Amino acid sequence: MQKDIKHTWLLNSPPEKVWEHLTDAELLSEWLMKNDFKPIIGHKFQFYAKPVVNMGFDGNVYCQVLEIIPLKKLSYSWKGGPGKGKITLDSVVTWTLIEKDNATELTIEHTGFKGLKNFVGYFFMNSGWKSIIKKRLGDLLNS
Amino acid sequence: MKTQTLDHFQVIADPNRRHILQLLSKDSLTINSLAENFDMSRPAVSKHIKALDDAGFISIENIGRERYCILKQTGFVEIQEWINYFDKFWESKLKKLELVLNKKSNKKK
Repeated sequence: MQKDIKHTWLLNSPPEKVWEHLTDAELLSEWLMKNDFKPIIGHKFQFYAKPVVNMGFDGNVYCQVLEIIPLKKLSYSWKGGPGKGKITLDSVVTWTLIEKDNATELTIEHTGFKGLKNFVGYFFMNSGWKSIIKKRLGDLLNS
Repeated sequence: MKTQTLDHFQVIADPNRRHILQLLSKDSLTINSLAENFDMSRPAVSKHIKALDDAGFISIENIGRERYCILKQTGFVEIQEWINYFDKFWESKLKKLELVLNKKSNKKK
């Protein structure tokens, strides 16, 4: 079973240019998604994508900046779910830039997919437990 | 410690057992390597593992000389969907980024 995502791309632009496109909200929206990103550690922001209904994804990605090393590395949390604040996707996105003769080797790693809540959710869906029990467990896991 | 039958809620209500599930969600582990993550005795860890096994959250398999704890995969269908989705998503977004960057550098020339 695949547990992480990793893609490496060679871009024919210098790291400064690529970094701008990763950290400027306007430029970021040109190729990724609308967002309110700011390059500040701890900044909470969102990406707004299209909902994927059959996957229980309302299209909102909730993020928080975790690490910034200018021109080299950027990472943020990446959370989402079916809406109403319910999070079923809990993961981390990390960008790494390496300069290669005025071009940039850009790597994205999407990792740390946390499974427990999904696992528990699945378990409940298939066991028909009463909602009160779900709530008890939900409160407990969120505590 | 006497053996007692726990319901599913009791099984997962215990923070140590939730921690075991979390560890196993990353990789299958031997009972010994699981035990290294806890301050409690190995028999105490084994007891938690047994509870998780009894409740169907994990299975224990003999691989070589070691006994491995393996998370049952059923609950992970959803996560696998997320991973498959974002795998393709990022690939297409990187292509888009390349296009955007190339367009801009061509304009300058």
